[in-house]
Amino acid sequence: MTCCKIVTDKAQQLLGWVDERFPLTTLYREHLAEYYAPKNFNFWYFFGSLALLVLVIQIVTGIFLVMHYKPDASLNAAGVPVAFASVEYIMRDVAGGKFIRYMHSTGASMFFIVVYLHMFRGLLYGSYRKPRELIWLFGMAIFLCLMAEAFFGYLLPWGQMSFWGAQVIVNLFEAIPVIGPDLSIFIRGDFVVSDATLNRFFAFHVIAIPLVLLGLVAAHLIALHEVGSNNPDGVEIKKYKDANGIPLDGIPFHPYYTVKDIFGVSIFLIVFAIIVFFAPEGGGYFLEFNNFFPADSLKTPAHIAPVWYFTPFYSMLRATTSDFLPVLWAFVALIAGLTFRGTGCVWIKRACLLLVAGLYWGFFGLTVFGFTPPPIDPVVLGVHLGRGLDAKFWGVAMMGGSVMLFGLLPWLDQSPVKSIRYKGPLFKTILTLFVISFVLLGFLGTKAPGYAFFGLIPGGPVAAICTILYLAFFGLMPWYSRIDKTKPEPERVTSK
Amino acid sequence: MSLLNKLLAAAALAVTMAGVPMVAQAAGGPALDKAPVRFDDASLQQGAKLFVNYCLSCHGASSVRYNTLTQIGLSEQQIKDNLMFAADKPGEQMMVALRRDDARKWFGVAPPDLSVIARARASEQGSGADWLYTYLRQFYRDDSRPTGWNNVLFPGVGMPHALWGLQGEQEAHFVTKDDGHGNKVTHLESLEIVKPGTLTKEEYDEQVANLVSFITWMGEPGQETRRSMGWLVLAVLSVFAVVSWLLKRAYWKDVH
Amino acid sequence: MSDNKQDASGGESCCACSLDSRRTMLAATVGAGAVVGLGVATPFVASFMPSERAKAAGAPVEVDLSKIKAGEMITVEWQGKPVWILRRTPEMIAALSKNDAALADPASERAVQPEYVKGVARAIKDEFFVCLGVCTHLGCSPNPKFAVGSESGMGDAWNGGFLCPCHGSQFDLAGRVFKSMPAPTNLVIPPHAYLSDTRLLIGKDSAEA
Repeated sequence: MTCCKIVTDKAQQLLGWVDERFPLTTLYREHLAEYYAPKNFNFWYFFGSLALLVLVIQIVTGIFLVMHYKPDASLNAAGVPVAFASVEYIMRDVAGGKFIRYMHSTGASMFFIVVYLHMFRGLLYGSYRKPRELIWLFGMAIFLCLMAEAFFGYLLPWGQMSFWGAQVIVNLFEAIPVIGPDLSIFIRGDFVVSDATLNRFFAFHVIAIPLVLLGLVAAHLIALHEVGSNNPDGVEIKKYKDANGIPLDGIPFHPYYTVKDIFGVSIFLIVFAIIVFFAPEGGGYFLEFNNFFPADSLKTPAHIAPVWYFTPFYSMLRATTSDFLPVLWAFVALIAGLTFRGTGCVWIKRACLLLVAGLYWGFFGLTVFGFTPPPIDPVVLGVHLGRGLDAKFWGVAMMGGSVMLFGLLPWLDQSPVKSIRYKGPLFKTILTLFVISFVLLGFLGTKAPGYAFFGLIPGGPVAAICTILYLAFFGLMPWYSRIDKTKPEPERVTSK
Repeated sequence: MSLLNKLLAAAALAVTMAGVPMVAQAAGGPALDKAPVRFDDASLQQGAKLFVNYCLSCHGASSVRYNTLTQIGLSEQQIKDNLMFAADKPGEQMMVALRRDDARKWFGVAPPDLSVIARARASEQGSGADWLYTYLRQFYRDDSRPTGWNNVLFPGVGMPHALWGLQGEQEAHFVTKDDGHGNKVTHLESLEIVKPGTLTKEEYDEQVANLVSFITWMGEPGQETRRSMGWLVLAVLSVFAVVSWLLKRAYWKDVH
Repeated sequence: MSDNKQDASGGESCCACSLDSRRTMLAATVGAGAVVGLGVATPFVASFMPSERAKAAGAPVEVDLSKIKAGEMITVEWQGKPVWILRRTPEMIAALSKNDAALADPASERAVQPEYVKGVARAIKDEFFVCLGVCTHLGCSPNPKFAVGSESGMGDAWNGGFLCPCHGSQFDLAGRVFKSMPAPTNLVIPPHAYLSDTRLLIGKDSAEA
């Protein structure tokens, strides 16, 4: 007994010594023991902590992979690129290397699954609404970093899909008027995707992006702990506090949510292990079959598609053809028209007019007005002035823009309530359509351009419709979120 | 949780899992024969013998070391005596004897390294083993080709039929038909053996199955171990899940 | 506010650019700091440009044409990119002008090509078509589709050409893109010159030096 007491006393002394020099106890209280989270979190609230877990998995496995991987595009004695061979070296010759590699490749896909579900939770319960706009924006930045991280990392195995995926994506930058072609050379560091590209992508993947990612994760959490968590009812728990200033519906994050999240982790790990041990290729979606062919700069595989987590956005790029541009313009004009009518602010009205006129020129150029375009020289700006911007540019703009649209959500949603539990049928219908479109776009993006459902329904028009539905979810939100029939929010959180 | 909520959760889970069981529909491309892949030591050893004798003279398997074959029940001495023609030590990689420049001169392309070919050849049409099994049985005589050989699955293939001594020589008969939409479609009507090899058709298929099994095994040696280990890992994780569920319940009993 | 006080106490309120003014000096320091920052950034940004090694890799390539049979195509590597050399049959050459109505730029006015390849065939010698096998859309390498008519699987009107596997752009046997394709322009023709009747140099405009 006395022995125990001595140990406890010594520990207390040590903690006191640390606390005088570093706010350890304060941090522990503020962020864990006395951070009060709503007590009504459900299934959807697991994915935040799971995203953090996958980040740790990726960093730890990544560190160990870097110890053996070689970013080198030159051929070894057997005629295989060194980078490609070094991945197989890890898979075969490094003890345990196979599992580290499979954990890393599975982790990449799981990261996106978890993050997409985490974002969907935000859509369900209005977690992006005031006062959580910055949490949402930091989250968006994390999502962008994650995409960059995945893109850079995918080049490293130096297989056919690595090579041609990078080739296509880097060439997208050529669509930017005037500076595009030079920009894409600047990104590659060569005239084609080459050893120079592989080395710089490696540097971005292992150092630059992870550092930014960690900083953003910290910002995301600090912002969250400043305003407090949202919950499935979308009501503020800080409104009703007890005599000590503790929210009546709040419970300390530690131990309640730490133990709950540990259970979530155990279920996640089971899913993770099933993939790693039984289906590491994920049916060709997590590790693409063609990527087991070493990169060949002279031959494009018969069918190339990005990894599944990029395909919804890639599909929208593909859907943006010159035939689709008039539809797109009409749709944007409709939204601008609705905004024009709905707003009282004269500046927003002017912005709407400018947007419609600008896009009209961008899509169609001067030709539709009856002007003849000036003599054409493809390298000068004159082309773009005369003919507007081509479909390739708009495809790229669409792909980038469709990701960025998420960032506008806090300001697009005008509903008096946050949570889907109290939103009306209109929102529920449009959200369902949005999810269906997103999944269909993702599916079509993995298929060749001429794909038809059951060999009957052509994929092209379906992708075009889904693109419009995707845009409509965001573009029409100020309108439908205002007129929707909502239910009254409860004063306090409800238990299921 | 409301009903809608549950539905949405279920839908999200379905999307999550979609990556794994999504079975490919046969969408274009020639049909593949299902390869009878067998991972028993006898088949793999026979396959290894064929691989070393017929493939390794032109193709490398540079990620595979000879002593990896101890995993299929061979001793290092057996490997040394029967399988190592181009290497001195069992720890060496299965490198090709042929020089790449020579190969390019003879075949137009340097023969690819086969270490992971079974994984690369997988597609929506079937596994890589299916592709290889079909490919190795569909060579036919074609005098218009520089090598005198062509392949139904891989038209214009650079490789001559390495196993022709076993299979014999085949002749292909193609027919061109109208597909009903005004398009002419050429497809294979029959492949028949015009000059028999040392094996009957059934024996040859059997040997190709052994060879393909070995090439599949070689794509990731120890894949069976990975799977059996998976069950153990799942068992441990299940215990962890149960314990952590009980822990959660113990803490949450006073939250109302 | 504090700046004003400082200025007042310094007694030099008439001159805005006094060396004592905090505001002025702050601006000057920011300016000088920005110049230093730009200077430091220069080598880092410049390092992204292709290195001398990458630039030197684009040496011209010599090709022997005698081994190519009529109707056959070979691919050679130049600057890391595939260059096609297609020996066109007289039928192939004759069929080219049939495509004109369906093409986006039949006269190759917007195409990137040397001045010495003109007209429908886009070649120095009509028989040998030399072209960069890189789609002008996003840089994939199109596949040859030389069969003619319905047998090609490209429709009855197909006169032979190329199909890009990535986004389905179609080109004819002179690398000219069809209308309403993702690819904006015709395939690029690299500089090339004949050293003799059967020897071709890719990557240079003339055979000299």
